[in-house]
Amino acid sequence: MASPSPKSPEQSEKNKQYDRQLRLWGDHGQTALENGHICLINATALGTETLKSIVLPGVGAITIVDDSTVTDEDIGSNFFLECSSVGINRGSEALRLILELNSAVQGHSVQESTDQILLENPDFFKAFSVVIATALGEKTIQELSQHLWDINVPFILCRSVGFLGSFRIQLKEHAVVESHPDNEQPDLRLDMPFPALKSFLDNFDLDVVELKDHGHIPWIVIIYKAIEKWRLKNNNQWPMSTKEKNEIREIIRDFIRKDENGIPINEENFAETLRAVNTALVPTFLPVKIQKLIYNSAAINLTNESSPFWIMCSALRNFVETEGKGKLPVCGALPDMTASTDHYIQLQNIYRNQAAIDAEAIYRKVQQITAQLHCETISETEVKLFCRHAHNLYLIKGSCIAQEYRLESSVASYIARYLEEPNVMMVHYILLRAAERFLSEHCRAPGDWEPEGDISKLKSCVSKLLSDISCSPFPKDDHVHEMCRYGGAEIHSVSAFMGGCIAHEAIKIVTKQYIPVNNTFIHDSASTNSAVFTF
Amino acid sequence: MAGESQTSDHNQRRWHHIKKLLERSGPFCHPDFEPSPDILDFIMNSCKVLVVGAGGLGCELLKDLALMGFKKIHVIDLDTIELSNLNRQFLFRKNDIGLSKAKCAVDFVNKRVPGCEAVAHHCAIQDFDEGFYRQFHIVVCGLDSIVARRWLNGMLMSLLQYNDDGSLDQSSIIPLVDGGTEGFKGNARVILPGLSACIECTLDLYPPQKTYPLCTVANTPRLPEHCVEYVKVIQWAKENPWGNSVQLDGDDPHHLAWVLERAQERANKHGITGVTYRLTQGVLKNIIPAVASTNAAIAAVCATEVFKLATSSCANMNNYMIMNMADGVYTYTFNAEKRSDCLACSNVTRVMEIEPEATLQAIYNKLCDDQDYMMKSPGITTIINGRNKTLYMASVKSIEERTRDNLKKKVTELGLYNGADILVADITTPNTLTIKLKFSELEDIEMTH
Amino acid sequence: MIKLFSLKQKKDEEGSSRPGGTQKKASAAQLRITKDLNELNLPKTCGTEFPDPDDLLNFKLIICPDEGFYRGGRFVFSFKVGPNYPHEPPKVKCETAVYHPNIDLEGNVCLNILREDWKPVLTVNSIVYGLQYLFLEPNPEDPLNKEAADELQSNRRLFEQHVQRAMRGGYVGSSYFERCLK
Repeated sequence: MASPSPKSPEQSEKNKQYDRQLRLWGDHGQTALENGHICLINATALGTETLKSIVLPGVGAITIVDDSTVTDEDIGSNFFLECSSVGINRGSEALRLILELNSAVQGHSVQESTDQILLENPDFFKAFSVVIATALGEKTIQELSQHLWDINVPFILCRSVGFLGSFRIQLKEHAVVESHPDNEQPDLRLDMPFPALKSFLDNFDLDVVELKDHGHIPWIVIIYKAIEKWRLKNNNQWPMSTKEKNEIREIIRDFIRKDENGIPINEENFAETLRAVNTALVPTFLPVKIQKLIYNSAAINLTNESSPFWIMCSALRNFVETEGKGKLPVCGALPDMTASTDHYIQLQNIYRNQAAIDAEAIYRKVQQITAQLHCETISETEVKLFCRHAHNLYLIKGSCIAQEYRLESSVASYIARYLEEPNVMMVHYILLRAAERFLSEHCRAPGDWEPEGDISKLKSCVSKLLSDISCSPFPKDDHVHEMCRYGGAEIHSVSAFMGGCIAHEAIKIVTKQYIPVNNTFIHDSASTNSAVFTF
Repeated sequence: MAGESQTSDHNQRRWHHIKKLLERSGPFCHPDFEPSPDILDFIMNSCKVLVVGAGGLGCELLKDLALMGFKKIHVIDLDTIELSNLNRQFLFRKNDIGLSKAKCAVDFVNKRVPGCEAVAHHCAIQDFDEGFYRQFHIVVCGLDSIVARRWLNGMLMSLLQYNDDGSLDQSSIIPLVDGGTEGFKGNARVILPGLSACIECTLDLYPPQKTYPLCTVANTPRLPEHCVEYVKVIQWAKENPWGNSVQLDGDDPHHLAWVLERAQERANKHGITGVTYRLTQGVLKNIIPAVASTNAAIAAVCATEVFKLATSSCANMNNYMIMNMADGVYTYTFNAEKRSDCLACSNVTRVMEIEPEATLQAIYNKLCDDQDYMMKSPGITTIINGRNKTLYMASVKSIEERTRDNLKKKVTELGLYNGADILVADITTPNTLTIKLKFSELEDIEMTH
Repeated sequence: MIKLFSLKQKKDEEGSSRPGGTQKKASAAQLRITKDLNELNLPKTCGTEFPDPDDLLNFKLIICPDEGFYRGGRFVFSFKVGPNYPHEPPKVKCETAVYHPNIDLEGNVCLNILREDWKPVLTVNSIVYGLQYLFLEPNPEDPLNKEAADELQSNRRLFEQHVQRAMRGGYVGSSYFERCLK
């Protein structure tokens, strides 16, 4: 058992540098990030603030596409430009200053317009894990998003105007194995204990335990014994109703030892047992969203193009239908609970062993599938991770931004529903879209020169949009006035906030951990309010 | 050279974005807001902002404020730069390891943003007195320490001045904007000392530090953390591997290696798995995970609020925002309520008028008999020359014996003076009261006779 | 809304002081401990000692149980109240060597409210009562001195003899105990 402890446990330089984030996404998350390549279109303040928080944690490479030259206004809001940068290509200057943040990151700058690249070298975008764009015109947004949708490259479209910021994530399909839920439901199988667990629980005799050990019986055992006792009197049913759960609680209270005066002895493990009644009595079941996943046509009709995720889903389905008897593989994690060391470790090993057995079975199925399909093998580590998190798999099926921009009927009615509420954040969305329309019509942001004159023009853009989605005009013009007041100004702190959020989402997409926004996030820094919409 | 006018043109254009917000009115502006070029002039040339902490949040704050037009920024931080800071504290490079965070951050930003006149203080916040803190218009803080937050909160409360009618003198308010992060979660808030909920009012919003029952650690360990905690709390003191006087230092790699090895031995003995270098270090140093993106977002919210406070261009958040970026991006803003029994912000100083010749007994009697107090057994302390002094306390026998003689002494003999504060605790009040002594003028007393 | 811009065009320069404004203010921890101590309601078996009556943050608690295994003993605990009080509990150590299931030979005390179950609403008084209870009802289920705990459960008489021996001054097993009888 005893393994020699390493004499020199010093971490590598890299592990030290990234220590605080490795505690969030692990070494494998870091590896995924280091294999990522992010493309930024337009090095505005919003763009560079986003890149900053992607470069610091150590993404593999970045590419900046920008054909504009640095102005004084840029210097005023963008930290990654210097006074001496004025007149030089904005992307290359920003790249130079951003790369100073982390010598491990590779960087490239492309001094061409997006339109030109789309026209002349559309395959250029295939190299990227995520494309992030700011300050694009309506037309380019639609062409680019359609292209990235077609070549299946994740895309984040971002804006920062005055106090308003937004980003829209376009993902064709994004599977998350490690979603890191805040409260994970424990997978204990008390209603259908596997053989090793059943024999451990059945051989445990509460009555012969000495008093000092009585306070260290794991609550899993106590609750199991209580349920067994209850089932003997109730036709072997499983307690479900509130009344039945209360009966279980009564039995548990009876188990508590009393002192010489008949007063129950306060024991932490019994208090834990009583608290656990609600969650521990939930019968083991196949969650609907996982059922949907494993019976998804992508998991059924595999081809040699199928992703590892769908291959594993397919193997999982096979397991559920055979060995699993309708249930998922045992996840293998035992929640912390008051217990003697021996009992806890024994229980922990019982769950871990069963998880390993189940994962092994699924791994064999995965191997069969990859052999049949003649596609790349999937490592045992990956399958184990998949099984460990099988209860919390998460899939996002996205939609294309170009489709959203065309305001097709489903999109139109979605927006209209929120406007009727009325939802002020959806009003902000309309204004952001209207400002974009204004820009394409008048070649400047609304209110760029002076606010008053542009109010009616912006209003007509808003009205046009509203009529396109069959909505009546806004009763008041206040948001139109506010947008003209902004005059397309990019406020640094607003861009810095959005940049932090966008970088975060890009990292989630690249590491395939944690759940990204699906799919639009809008933030109003004036009211410190934000909303998520799913177009 | 066309020198100055050209520079001024550059400057005009540099602040073009911000000027739109400050020189134009909007439908959502505060009714008192009057757009004017003077506001930009105010934030650039008059408004003094103190940034507390030059770490994950502090670096961001400094950059954000400099690019929002603030020039007169002071930064305090006691720490020096470490390698593990570099994944988020973007103003530092590997060459800077070991240098002052405050100085490095300030040097970088002053160089990058022309005109910025940030000043660094490489010291503890407690090294400065009221005179220092009073010079600022706004304090913004990015700290990971609750103790430091509470200290700063107390300092800003102590700067509040009250008018003779007991109302708060608004010009003595120094707003505190506070941000905090932990992994993918964070919060930001605006505190108007004396007016809105303060740090002390909402102390229970901070999660308690993770601790493990000592008996579990000693006898029934089951988690790898228990094994590390055992070595830290029990085994180190028993074995004193570096001699009696050497405390365990989580930053010393030799200490860490020793703890790791012992913790692994203990884990092996009990069949516990998972004692790794990372885990050991995490438990020893109570490491909180941190990532650039969360820090950037929270600091930016704080900077926006500082900008709103300084310019009145928009109403401030009311008054506490929480953010969670683990599952999507979620923010929620709510009004944290001021507590009427708050130790810090509801401890409004009361005034007690006494004769300059009065004894402590006279004060004691007044506290017991006066209609305003009606106390049962007041314990009285004060602070003289920065040191706490117990004047009288009846409830603790050993203190009563040693302070009994004070009752006979004149207040001036005890070091008290006109305007001095005494602290009075009694069962009849939820908190210790601060009472300012006001010496009555002799003529007045004679006149009343 | 507070209007900073109009309220304070010019701030006082650094170092300027106002009359009477220079007295250092008490910290929240200080205010709270003053309150705690003023309301201290000690059982008759307990007393406090303040080496410096002006320093309310560091003091000793003396417990002299008048019943149970530890009758006749005198046990000294040191209390250190930190600047984060009451967010964090005081640090309490037993300075008297004692043969006790819940106190180890280094003076660590296993009392839930001193660690995992501390809450800011608790006071010094709560800790005093908790400690006093430990001497009346040593809890062998959650031991810190396992030997003592096992003995208490398996052989109360022997445990009692060992407690007595330790209090009179002497060896129990390989550990030496200083005399602590009153």
